[in-house]
Amino acid sequence: MEDCLAKKMEITVSEAEKRTGRNAMNMQETYTAYLIETRAVETQSEGQCAPVDSLWRRYSEFELLRNYLSVTYPHIVVPPLPEKRADFVWHKLSADNMDPDFVERRRIGLENFLLRVASHPVLCQDKIFYSFLTQEAGWKEMVNETGFQLKADSRLKALNATFRVKNPDKRFTELKHYSDELQSVISHLLRVRARVADRLYGVYKVHGNYGRVFSEWSAIEKEMGDGLQSAGHHMDVYAASIDDILEEEEHYADQLKEYLFYAEALRAVCRKHELMQYDLEMAAQDLTTKKQQCEELATGTVRTFSLKGMTSKLFGQETPEQREAKLKVLEEQIQEGEEQLKSKNLESRDFVKSAWADIERFKEQKNHDLKEALISYAVMQISMCKKGIQVWTNAKECFSKM
Amino acid sequence: AAGGPKPLPSSGPKSLREMPHPLATSSSEEMGPALTPSPDLLLPRSIADKDLSLPNGTPVDTSSPASSSSLLNRLQLDDDFDGETRDLFVTVDDPKKHVCTMETYITYRVTTKTTRAEFDLPEYSVRRRYQDFDWLRNKLEESQPTHLIPPLPEKFVVKGVVDRFSEEFVETRRKALDKFLKRITDHPVLSFNEHFNVFLTAKDLNAYKKQGMALLSKMGESVKYVTGGYKLRSRPLEFAAIGEYLDTFSLKLGTIDRIAQRIIKEQLEYLVELREYGPVYSTWGGLEVELSEPLEGVSACIGNCCTALEELSEEMTEDFLPVLREYILYSESMKNVLKKRDQVQAEYEAKLEAVALKKEDRPKVPTDVEKCQDRVECFNADLKADMERWQNNKRQDFRQLLMGMADKNIQYYEKCLTAWESIIPLLQDKPETK
Repeated sequence: MEDCLAKKMEITVSEAEKRTGRNAMNMQETYTAYLIETRAVETQSEGQCAPVDSLWRRYSEFELLRNYLSVTYPHIVVPPLPEKRADFVWHKLSADNMDPDFVERRRIGLENFLLRVASHPVLCQDKIFYSFLTQEAGWKEMVNETGFQLKADSRLKALNATFRVKNPDKRFTELKHYSDELQSVISHLLRVRARVADRLYGVYKVHGNYGRVFSEWSAIEKEMGDGLQSAGHHMDVYAASIDDILEEEEHYADQLKEYLFYAEALRAVCRKHELMQYDLEMAAQDLTTKKQQCEELATGTVRTFSLKGMTSKLFGQETPEQREAKLKVLEEQIQEGEEQLKSKNLESRDFVKSAWADIERFKEQKNHDLKEALISYAVMQISMCKKGIQVWTNAKECFSKM
Repeated sequence: AAGGPKPLPSSGPKSLREMPHPLATSSSEEMGPALTPSPDLLLPRSIADKDLSLPNGTPVDTSSPASSSSLLNRLQLDDDFDGETRDLFVTVDDPKKHVCTMETYITYRVTTKTTRAEFDLPEYSVRRRYQDFDWLRNKLEESQPTHLIPPLPEKFVVKGVVDRFSEEFVETRRKALDKFLKRITDHPVLSFNEHFNVFLTAKDLNAYKKQGMALLSKMGESVKYVTGGYKLRSRPLEFAAIGEYLDTFSLKLGTIDRIAQRIIKEQLEYLVELREYGPVYSTWGGLEVELSEPLEGVSACIGNCCTALEELSEEMTEDFLPVLREYILYSESMKNVLKKRDQVQAEYEAKLEAVALKKEDRPKVPTDVEKCQDRVECFNADLKADMERWQNNKRQDFRQLLMGMADKNIQYYEKCLTAWESIIPLLQDKPETK
């Protein structure tokens, strides 16, 4: 942890800018570019600040980085990116990717992503990540040259594995179940929260109408006029206050969203394990089959049904030379297979060990972060209640002077 | 008996002999606005002095229009009259449901405590139903047409939408009926009305209702303002101003009613979502280990906020909206009284014109026209006095109503604040390592 990049380098995503350019099909497109600034953390001695390096990246490059990390470190719960499109919006929020509020929240999310990666004991040491932060030109080519796309597992293969694994690791099964449930409950929470925000907005805004009618009413009153008028002003303040309150709550929603996407990353590790396990089981089975075939060939007994065996029976036996050749090939394959199985087993054990270590690290991080998020949410609610009490107390005083 | 020094507003109860008869001097108009009671006075005064007589010794007949205005003017000087000198107290409580073969209805207990001579006993307790209150109001309108009669809560309720026998509805109605009687009690003229007396005291009100005509003549209530379709040319400025005020006032109240209803609607929709929101935290808590307690805590907290919000909406529906609607009804009935006044003035002006057209060199105005003039002046005086009293009461009522609204909202936020503050330590707590 002492060596992680975040300790050595200040990383910020400080600006966002609208750009126009030409895409792969030479069509004009508009996109947002984000400015990444980095600065080496100096020891306090001179009090001088190191110079700031900066470069521009767009969202698709962040995605490329994350894909690379996911494939290259399949045993790690890789931090997620902020959402690609605005989701869980309530009516006032825009679903438009170009909306300044959305861009701003995305900027914060991207910075958070980089800090998460830079604080991770394993990920922070990755060279591609370092280049992402420091080398603007040629980075894409560098990533593609790693050939990581080839290592990526096909979706179909992964799905296949889920259904065919015979001896899944119980811990991973439980974890997979947990991550599914977590995704489901956080999605539900975010959906309802958006509706709650919508309704609360309505309640506050309608109070603004009191402001106008009290003002109109005060015009025909003598003694009551002043009290009514000033109370109306407080009603306007009350109605306006909801905007800031809900904007702050969006940060809470973003914190929940991060863990919604983290659940997906957790799921990915489980999926990788399933794949490895399946691979292992397939290799073991293949080896067993070959060993059996070998035995049959050597002893001449046909224990397993094979089309070849049948056809040879029907169309004549093989020569002893042919049989000898086959046996030799099989023995070679068995040899290879055993070595492969050994290394696969080792790979699997290593995977489980390092994955589990990262999962424990992740659990602690999650518990800490979500607790902090809940505390900050409670603090927001407390602040909202206090503001409400203040406004109505002010209004009450105005009414008392009527 | 004219002239004399004008009494100061805060000079306390005065003997009637010191006060000039308002109809005798032209300074009656000046007395009105200048003698508005001080704002601190919450209770309208009632007549303490039972021996009422005019400066010239004539006993005062409290039910006749001429004297009621003089009484009102006297009262307006007594602005440090406090509750201790009141001699009539009326309360409406104890609603009970009666199930009969023909119908089901609610009666309310009307309790009276008084030291007035007009009442045979110091205490009364009778049971009355809405019909009886409605009857009383009609009788008051008939017998005291120059006065503003307080409104009753709405008579008809849409069946199926509102449950007439629900606790909330009955309680809301009870409060309104109580307010209705208290307003009459506090009125220096209306509180002495014979029908009101009977309403408070009679064991069998229905029998009395039937003999209505007989009583009318007994009390000399021949004050039937025959509105013979006379057209008023123009309303005097001050009454036109009152009319315009009432128009705008009821308009604004209508708007406030709509806003309040809208807020309640939005709050209830917010509540629906909150009720789904809270339990999701609980579900999540079920998945977690270390976060289980904090998440449960948040869930319970949101539940508490739901309860508080429900209470707020209920209170606004039961306490706030009915009073607004009462005042809208009040304004409507007041506008009708204004129209009646116009009629009386129109009649007088028409008769006066008719006399002027005849070639007369009689200096004396015929008694018939004189009576009309009297009627106009009395009506005007009564109405003005009632308007001022109404304005003051309205101010007190709305002050209380709006402060109450603010209070309810403050209490709602305080309940929520307590809930959220109480879970902060729970959230910050470091669990024991298992």
